Amino acid sequence: MVGIGDYHIGRSPMSSIGLGSCIGLVVYDMERDTGGLAHIMLPDSQGRTDRPAKYADTAVELLVRELNKQGSKKEALGAKIVGGSSMFQSFSGNLNIGDRNIEAVRFHLKKWNLRILAEDVGGVQGRTITFYPAEKGKVSVKTADGTIRLI
Amino acid sequence: MLTTQQSDALRELGNIGAAHAATTLSTMLSTNIGMEVPEINVVDIAKVHEYVSDEPAALVIFQIQGEVSGGGYVLLHIPKTSVVRLTNAMLGMTELDRDLTEMDHSALLEIGNIMVSAFLDASATLLSIIMLPSPPSLIIDMPHAAFQSILAAQDFSDINQVVIFRTELHSDQYKITSNLFLLPNQPMLNEILAMLENLMK
Repeated sequence: MVGIGDYHIGRSPMSSIGLGSCIGLVVYDMERDTGGLAHIMLPDSQGRTDRPAKYADTAVELLVRELNKQGSKKEALGAKIVGGSSMFQSFSGNLNIGDRNIEAVRFHLKKWNLRILAEDVGGVQGRTITFYPAEKGKVSVKTADGTIRLI
Repeated sequence: MLTTQQSDALRELGNIGAAHAATTLSTMLSTNIGMEVPEINVVDIAKVHEYVSDEPAALVIFQIQGEVSGGGYVLLHIPKTSVVRLTNAMLGMTELDRDLTEMDHSALLEIGNIMVSAFLDASATLLSIIMLPSPPSLIIDMPHAAFQSILAAQDFSDINQVVIFRTELHSDQYKITSNLFLLPNQPMLNEILAMLENLMK
């Protein structure tokens, strides 16, 4: 289980429950069938380094570096992004953080030359994801209505 | 983040609020409402999923307004099966195997308004201030996703920990359970703790 601002790397299934405005960022190594999942909460670390998986900018870098360290080639890596919804229509106080998270993750993936293999982002619903590195990097996305999509 | 004394004071405050909320629910349904001892937890954001699940539920969510700095929330959480039973109890219906409709939404907003107003009113009276709920936002979705969206919003700035107050209210007669959550941001928490400390002098 990968909680808010946390991450995990490996070959066994890993999941994050109840993504709202948060993003589940999967980086998958197509050659080695391994990868990582980061549960990103905010778009910009503003220089903070204590929880790199919490922010879009540091999370992308973290997953790429950790996978490189374990022998992944950069060309073999691809990304899947899930989440970034806007669940609250009626409150003041800047709750459209979901959109900003999506933009920031895309921006930093591009900066690191990572292809986006698939995405399921935006909307108003929460999502629970499970990443199966050993099953060709399959990601299942479940929503509150019980629907499960594979991306 | 909280001393034992602060935690106890906060629990007592929430206890009084929740007891009033329980009374209003009891009046509306004309039945006894049981209440559990409130829990106060200081939770790391990475562990929020241990307190709030992704099991679909109805959440009636209010921002706390009035004589406190903004940025705190009260959430009434009712599992889907309980929502159906609750509406049925209010409207004298019996059909259990049905989807949620507009009727349930209205009932939830109504009940949320009344319970949370009572909760805030009683807590504020103890503190000799005024606290009011904002208009409610109704979400029927994964509770963790709603909590997470609130915690990522600007009110909470960039936190690693959050104080979660929770108490359970239930009706044995109608088999309804619900939870009242209080989610203060740091400025509001500090203000409330300062007021509680003054009270105990």
